[in-house]
Formats: sequence, structure tokens, C-alpha cells
Amino acid sequence: MKRNESAMRVVAETIRAKKGLSLGIVLAVGAAVAASLCPPLLLGRVIDAMTAGEGVPAVWAIGYFALLALAGLMEAARESGLTVFGQAMTHALRSRLMEKMTRLSADELSRQEPGAVAARFVSDVDTVESLFTGGIAGMAADACKIFGILAVIWLRNRGLALVLLLLLPFLFWFTRRVQRGMLAAQMAKRRAVGRASSLVPETLKCIRTIRCLGKEDYMAGRYDEAIDVGYRAMEKTNFYDAIYSPVILTLNAVVVAVVMLLSASGNARVLTLFGMSAGTAVAVMNYIGQIFAPVESLGMEIQTIQSAIAGVKRIDEFFAREERNPTGEACGQEPTDAAVELRHVTFGYDEHIVLDDLSFRILPGERVTLVGRTGAGKSTVFKLLMGLYTPGSGDVLIDGRPAAAMAEAERRRVFGYVEQTFHAVPGTVRDQMTLYDDSIDDEAVRRAAALVGLDKHIETLPQGYDTPCTPALFSQGEWQLISIARAAVADPKIMLLDEITANLDAETEQCVLRALGRASEGRTVISISHRTGAETGRLIMLGGHNAASA
Amino acid sequence: MRKADFRPDRVGAYFRAEWATLLAVTVSGLIYNIGLLAGPLFEGRMAGRLIDVLNGRAGFADMAALVAIYALITAVVQGARYVKRFYVRRFANNVNRRMKRVLYGHLVRMDRPSLEAEGAGSVMTKAISDVDDCVEGMRKFTTELFDTGVALAAYAVMLLTYDVRLALIALVFPPISFFIAEKMKRPVQRAGVKRKASYAALNGATIDRATNAVTYRVFGRESDRRQAYEESLSDYERAAVHEGLLSASMPPIYRVISMAAVPFIIILGARNIAGSGWTSWDVAAFTTFLSCFTRLATKSSSAAKLFNAVHKAQVSWKRIKPLMHEIAPLERAEAARVSEMRVDKLGFAYPGEKAQFEGVSFTAQPGMIIGVTGPVASGKSTLGKAFLCEYPYNGHIALDGRELSHLTQAERAAEIGYLGHDPELLSDSIENNVLMGEKDDAEKWLRMVCLDKEVAAMEAGKATMVGSGGVRLSGGQAQRLALARTLCHKRPVMILDDPFSALDKATEKQVFDNLRAAAADSIVLLISHRLYLFPRFDQVIWLSDGQAQIGSHETLMEKNADYRRLYREQEEEERHEAK
Repeated sequence: MKRNESAMRVVAETIRAKKGLSLGIVLAVGAAVAASLCPPLLLGRVIDAMTAGEGVPAVWAIGYFALLALAGLMEAARESGLTVFGQAMTHALRSRLMEKMTRLSADELSRQEPGAVAARFVSDVDTVESLFTGGIAGMAADACKIFGILAVIWLRNRGLALVLLLLLPFLFWFTRRVQRGMLAAQMAKRRAVGRASSLVPETLKCIRTIRCLGKEDYMAGRYDEAIDVGYRAMEKTNFYDAIYSPVILTLNAVVVAVVMLLSASGNARVLTLFGMSAGTAVAVMNYIGQIFAPVESLGMEIQTIQSAIAGVKRIDEFFAREERNPTGEACGQEPTDAAVELRHVTFGYDEHIVLDDLSFRILPGERVTLVGRTGAGKSTVFKLLMGLYTPGSGDVLIDGRPAAAMAEAERRRVFGYVEQTFHAVPGTVRDQMTLYDDSIDDEAVRRAAALVGLDKHIETLPQGYDTPCTPALFSQGEWQLISIARAAVADPKIMLLDEITANLDAETEQCVLRALGRASEGRTVISISHRTGAETGRLIMLGGHNAASA
Repeated sequence: MRKADFRPDRVGAYFRAEWATLLAVTVSGLIYNIGLLAGPLFEGRMAGRLIDVLNGRAGFADMAALVAIYALITAVVQGARYVKRFYVRRFANNVNRRMKRVLYGHLVRMDRPSLEAEGAGSVMTKAISDVDDCVEGMRKFTTELFDTGVALAAYAVMLLTYDVRLALIALVFPPISFFIAEKMKRPVQRAGVKRKASYAALNGATIDRATNAVTYRVFGRESDRRQAYEESLSDYERAAVHEGLLSASMPPIYRVISMAAVPFIIILGARNIAGSGWTSWDVAAFTTFLSCFTRLATKSSSAAKLFNAVHKAQVSWKRIKPLMHEIAPLERAEAARVSEMRVDKLGFAYPGEKAQFEGVSFTAQPGMIIGVTGPVASGKSTLGKAFLCEYPYNGHIALDGRELSHLTQAERAAEIGYLGHDPELLSDSIENNVLMGEKDDAEKWLRMVCLDKEVAAMEAGKATMVGSGGVRLSGGQAQRLALARTLCHKRPVMILDDPFSALDKATEKQVFDNLRAAAADSIVLLISHRLYLFPRFDQVIWLSDGQAQIGSHETLMEKNADYRRLYREQEEEERHEAK
């Protein structure tokens, strides 16, 4: 059931799922624009009434404020709606990404770089959110506002509307130019600042050389130089930052000046375009002031959208990654007396064949060691047994059933796996062993700890099994023991022992080996040996494209 | 202001040091913010003038003059704004640089044990990033002082001159808005903290899920982990919506509250114009008053920024202040010629641990190369490190009778050269890594360590950047580059810890010959686990189980079975390889 997923599709689904909210946001955007357009018109009326020496009804004054308040409330409503919508969207997107992760092929899983995945799930999704809430929604609101103001001015002072229409493209060009220059300068600044801050950890690392060679002043000079580069880059952003608003506001003043001048020209032909009352003049000045702000934010929104598109692309790349074959399908169980059996298994990565027509049987309670040169396929056999890969041809059977078809819940009861290197998970000592599985009771955890000889040590910890784990809590050897406890805690029938790569001193290594021995008792044990001299039980030779049992 | 008076632990000192920049900021800031009044003033005047023109009381020329002044003043005011913004940022940059210099100056004077053991390294790193926050706060404070403080005052004064009573009524509302915003700050901050915590948790959950993906799959925990991730997602959604609603939806409301004064201004203003109010106004005055108030209301919402900026700067300043003491200028010591080094009953133990070795005694004269070897973890490297005096040693290391531990850091640096396991290369060019600021020819030293040809073949020659920690070099290249640096900074006593471990034998022999020639007037202590050069050393120290045996290669071959076995084994291997 391969689905075609993309970030945009998830967004569309969120819109569909939150119809009422989406509609509400659209309405709020429209209402906010409409409400913000009205007050200057009313103000114009007020001023004209004053000029004519008429009284100003209190209703107008209150109405003016009511319109301002309405515009404010609508804006607040829009922001609230966008917040709720944006978070619903990011939630949906992240949860889809996580679903995708559970469907990734084992290859993809082991290839992924945790930091990059976190960047995808967390910050890239955030940029998609800003694309919609800040970028597209903001853009729509600003475009509406610009058109609304132009329309009102067109009705009130056709000449000004024409002037603005001519001016807007220039204004927009200038805005984008400054913003682009700003962005480039900021990137340069960030690089320079990054370089300067990277000197700090570098100094920490090289402090012995620095002190020993008496290079304190040299390093300080180097740091100074790096700061200076950042400083010059920053001066450039300062320039762009400082130049924009003054230019825009001066332009604003010039437009107002020109319009006022023309409307006072007394020339009948000019006045058909620019003629207006004093009230209209005040309203118009108000509008001109309002039209510059949306142009500026429009530019920012374009920038947001541009940077967000890169995020969308990266998310879609993740969605496009290779998936594993579906597991858990019902497969016939053949009655067999073998705990593990490989029948004519052929397997390779890409073109490179690793296992060629490999067959062997392992009986319950048997101990075997897989031996062979590097690249002979020892780890590959483990991955096939654990169902991470499915064979190209042939069968990998555990208890007579295909290994890859094993249901998730069954796995730990069938086999325990002691990894080459132990990876701690965030959580307590207990969590290290159970991997958050609540169905494993305290007694089982205690038994596993006792099995590897860590129970006494854990009980002396401040919170016993509930002590939160930090890297310093256990020594390297003890972490290895926990790794064994993790494999044994669900009482599996089969133990898969990968060779531990950690550098342990002889005493600790003996301790780990003894724990492995205890954990193996009464189970089928399959181990990998990369070194000679560490084999136990029957050997299965890999390599030479054939398996030979010795 | 002279440098001598500068007190890096006083915030005021930084402001004083930048007085010229700040003067530019003050002048342009005052022009800009007071000049802002021109906007509403002229808008009113122009509306009034238009009425006059329409009524025939004024002509085109009157309007033209008014309009020209308006445009001109706006341009000047905005020009002042440009100058102000530019200089405020320059001020911030300068302070930033100054503070970081002080911190870095201290950092570079620390030694490895205190950086590692006491976590001083991370404290300094944190402090340097705190400087950014602190300076950002100082910048915002300086900016807002003018843009909010001066501007608000100017607007308020202008309102008061037009109509005192109406101004007082109008000025009631912005503070109410400000007060409510301040009251709301606490819940907003709390929500922000919650969101950040939830965000960090989500990030952590994502990293864990990706790091341990294979483990979770093998142990059949994926569905469960997805469920748990879903929970952190929901938690984050709740926290983010909560904070978003508080922080994003409130500002428009605050603005509305500030603007609640407008109906009063319109009604009472109309009375002023009609002649029945507190003051007599024309339409121009009304327009100016309203426009001025609108700007004040908008500005007042940023008054909170002023206080926030100060608060933020204070918090980060408090953290860095204890570290901001003056940097003592470095003393420099000239290397005295060492004619004899006497090591007597030298022993060493890391604080609170058992001794690594003890009772090492030997004497060395310039030109001697002394090999140090022994089984893994026998304390070879520690013997070398004892000469760094990072921790106290037992016994004596005397250079012409001067005890090494009694020398000052600078004197020691002039006598002892040290090259450890880690080449400690800088992310810089090959040349700079050799010279580190010395005026010399890097080529010479590269040739000495047989690296010159490889460097010449690189894309930029000796200007090639080696990458962070030397990642772009092979292990052997990094090792030789570090050796070139050490030779370039020759000292009377040089400790070289396994400098050839990544070299092939032909290169090693060549480099050793060069080393022998270059260090003819130095004492070299060469720590190594490869022994085939040892017959050429002047003395050999065999360390095992914390005890030392010292003699010539021949003596040790004769008397020490372990040394003999190790030497023979390596010889055997060599013959094996040669076949």
C-alpha cells in the first residue's frame, strides 16, 4: 500500500479536516481589510463637516472607533485562527513523517543521520508552517489591502491612484532589491560570525599547543581578525537595514506633497483628476501612509516563501525514500524441528552478491558461531534473521516461518539481540532494558539485571531502576552488560550476539563474557566472530559463496 | 578615553568608551524623533491650506511653499534616522567586539585541566554567546531610548500644547493598554517557556527515534515509539497554540485599547472648532492633533520593548560580569640555554588516583635523544605530560638546577616544547599552522618533515586550508604538520609523544635524521611504541607497571627480557613485511 505523500497533500488534508477554521480565517482576512479601509473615509466626512461648520454627530465619532476596533478584532481573529491552523498542520505533517519512518527500509534507517532527520521533522516542518501562516496567508491579506486602498483612492482621487499605480512597481522593485541585498549580507554575516564562534571550541581543543608555544597573543589576534570580518559583514547589513525606511517614508512625503500641490493647482483639467475636499485630503494622506506597509511585508513574505520552498522539497524527499516490504502478512507455518533455517538464500546489495545459495539449519538449544572474512556476510545473515532484509531468493525461516513476516509484538519473545555497540535511549535504567515496554514487569527487569550481575549496583543508585540515565551513570563495560540485559529481558528463545567492539580491559571483558554465557543458557545462540579464537559451539563458515558447517 | 581607565566589568565603561559613536546617535536621534512631529504638523497645515485654496483665501504658490518645506523636512528627518540607525548598530558592534576580546583573552590563558575538569571551557563558550544577547539588549535599549522615549515625550508635549485638557483625556488610554500588556507578559513568558521546553522534548524525541531506529525495529518497538511520538506532538501543539494565541492575537487588541481615546478627540475636537470647546481650533489643528495621537498610540505599544530590552541585557550581563576582569598582559620569557636536565625520582599521579609511575631518574645533555617506551597503558604518555606541569609531580625535573614546577608559565613555555597525540591543528592554512605568526619560511620546516612535496601537490600549496582539526589531511600528514610546527618553535627540551606512529618506515627514518640534525642543541624525549629506531637513541627508558628501567638500547636488550621480546617481535614483523 504505497501512498504518494507530499507536504502539500498533508496541508490540503488539514484544510479539508478543518473546513470551518479555514473558512473562518478567510473571512477574518477579508473583514480585517474591509474594516481597516473604512475609518479614513469616515474621518474625511468628519473633516468636511467641520470645514462646512456643521456639527459632528457623536455616532460618527463612536462609529470611527468601532471600525478601528473591528479591524483590530478581525486581525486578532485572523492571527488566532492561523496559529491554531498552523499547529494542526505541523502536527499532521510530523505525524505523517513519523509514519513514513516506520515504513522505511532498513537500509534507509541505518543510513540516516539523526541530526538531519531532526532538522527535517522539526525545523523544515516549521518553515512549512511559516509558509502558510506567515507567507501565503499574509500575502493574501496584504494583496487585498493594497487593492482595497487603490480602489478607494480611485474613487476619491483618480489622479493619485494613477500616480500610485505607476509608483508601486518601482516601490516593489526597490523593496525586493534591499531585501535581497539584506539577505545576502546576512548570510555573509552569519558565515563570518560562525567562523568567529568556531574559534572558541577550536581554542579549547588546542589549548595545550597554544599555551606550550606561548601563542596566546597570536590566537587573540586571530580571533580579533575573525570578529573584524564579521563586523565588516555586519556593517553591510546595517546599511541595508538603515536605508530602507527613510527612503520609503521620504517617498511617502513626496507623494503627499505632489498630490496636495496638484489639488491646489486651480487648473480645471488637473482638478478633474486631483481635485478633492480637505476631508478627502486627510483621508488620502491616511491611505498613502497605509499602502507602504503592505508593500514592505509583501517583500518579506516572498522571502519567507522562497526559503520555505526549500524546506518543502526536503520533506518531500523524505516522503520519497525507499520503503520496506510490508511485514506481518499471514504466512503458512511449516512444521519443522529447526529453530532457524536458511534455505538456498541468495542476497545482495545492489549488484553485489553477498550470500549465494546459502543453506543451514540450527536446532533448538544449539550454539553456533558464524565465521568468515570481513564482507563475507555475517552481519547480513543477522539482518536477514531479524527480518530487516528479505532474501532475494530462498527462505529465511524462524520456527518454520519467514523471518520478515514476524509480527512486531512477537519479536522480543523470539529473539534477543546484543548489538555491536550499545545505544542508550533517553529515560530511566529500566527503560534501557524494557525499551518502554510496559508488558515487561519489574520482576523480569530485576531478573535480567541479576543475570548480567548489575542488580546490586542498580539498587544502590538513588532511585534504583527509576534513576534517569546519564552517560556517566555506568562505565563502558556496564553499558555493555545493560545491552545484554536488554536482549534477555523478554526471555527470548534465540540469542543473537554480535561481537562487541568496545575497547574493554581484560577484567571487564571477562565479566561481559560471563554475563553473555549466563544470558545464553537454555537458548539457541547464534554469534558472530570477527576475530579468530572467540568461537563457541558449531562453526558456520561464510564466504566463498558457500556455507560449510564444521 | 585612555585604555588604562577602562574597567571591563562595568557596563558604563563600554558606553563611555564609545562616546563618539553615541554622540552621533544622540544628535541624529534627537533630530529624528523631534522631527517626527513635522509629519502631523504639516499634514494638518496642508489640509488647512487646501481649505484656504478652495475658498480662494490662498493661492497655488502658498501651497507650493508649504509642500516644499514639508518634503524637505521629511527628507532631513529621515536622513537623521538613517544616521542614527547606522551608528546605533556600529555602537553595538564595537561593544560586542570589546567584550569578546576580554573573554577570549581569558580563555586563551587557561590550561587544559581547568578547562576540562572544572567545565570552565563550557562556561567561557556560554559567556561568549551571552555577549551577543547582552549587546543586543544594549543596542535595543539605545534604540528604544530615542525611538520610544524621546518620540513619546515629543508627541505628548505637542498634544499638550494644542489642548491641555483634551490631551490629558487622550493620554489616559495608552498607559492602560501598556499596563494590560505588562500584566499579560507573565503568562506569555510562561507559555513561551513551556513551548520551548516542549519543543526541546520534541527535538530530543525525534533525534532518539532516528538514532535508535534500527534498535527499535529489531526489538519490535516501532509502533509503541510512534505512539509516544504522537504524544509529544500533541503536547507541543497544545503548548504552541497556547503561546501563539497569547502572543500573536493580543497586539491588535492593545492597539484598539490605546485608540479608545479617538471618539473623545473627534467629539471634543469638533467642539473646539465650533468654538464651544476648551480651546479654539481650526481644521488643521484638529488633523494634527488626531494624527499625532494616532502615532503616539502606535508607538506606545513598543514602550514595553524598552523595558524588555533592558531586562534581557541585565540577565546576560549578570552571567558574564564575573568573567569580565582585566586581562593581564602576557609576560614573555627568553629561553635560557639548558646545558643539563636532571630528572630525579620523578613520579606522577592524577589527583585522587594511584601513581602512574614513580622513581624515574636520568640526566640528559643537549643533542641527546631519549626514547621512552613500554607496554600499553604503562604511563609513557603521562611521563611526557608531567613536563607540562598541568598537575603537580613528585620528585624533581631540574633544568640547570632550576626546578621546572617553580618556573612561571611563560618561562616554562620558553623551555619546554610538547607535541602530544592530538596534533591540535587549527582550522587554517598549512603555512599558518606551521608558523603560527612567526616570521619564517614554512617551506623549510615542511621539508624537514618530508611534507613539502605533498603540500606542493595540493590545490593551493601551503595556503591550503586543513579544515577543522585538520580533517582534510590524512593522519600521517596531520602528524607531520604538527611536528613541523613543533620544530619551527624549537625549545631546549622537546617532548614528542609518538610523532611517527602514522608514517611508513622510510619516511620515519628520513624525518628522524632531519630531527636529529635540527635538534642538535636540544634535549629530545621521544615516546614511541615502535622500537626499530631505538638502537640509534642515546638512552632508552622502559616503563612497566609504574617502574622505570633506564639505559642504552644495548643494555636494555641484554638486561630486560620484555624489551628484548618486544624489539625482536617488531623486527620479525618487519622482515615478514619485507618479504
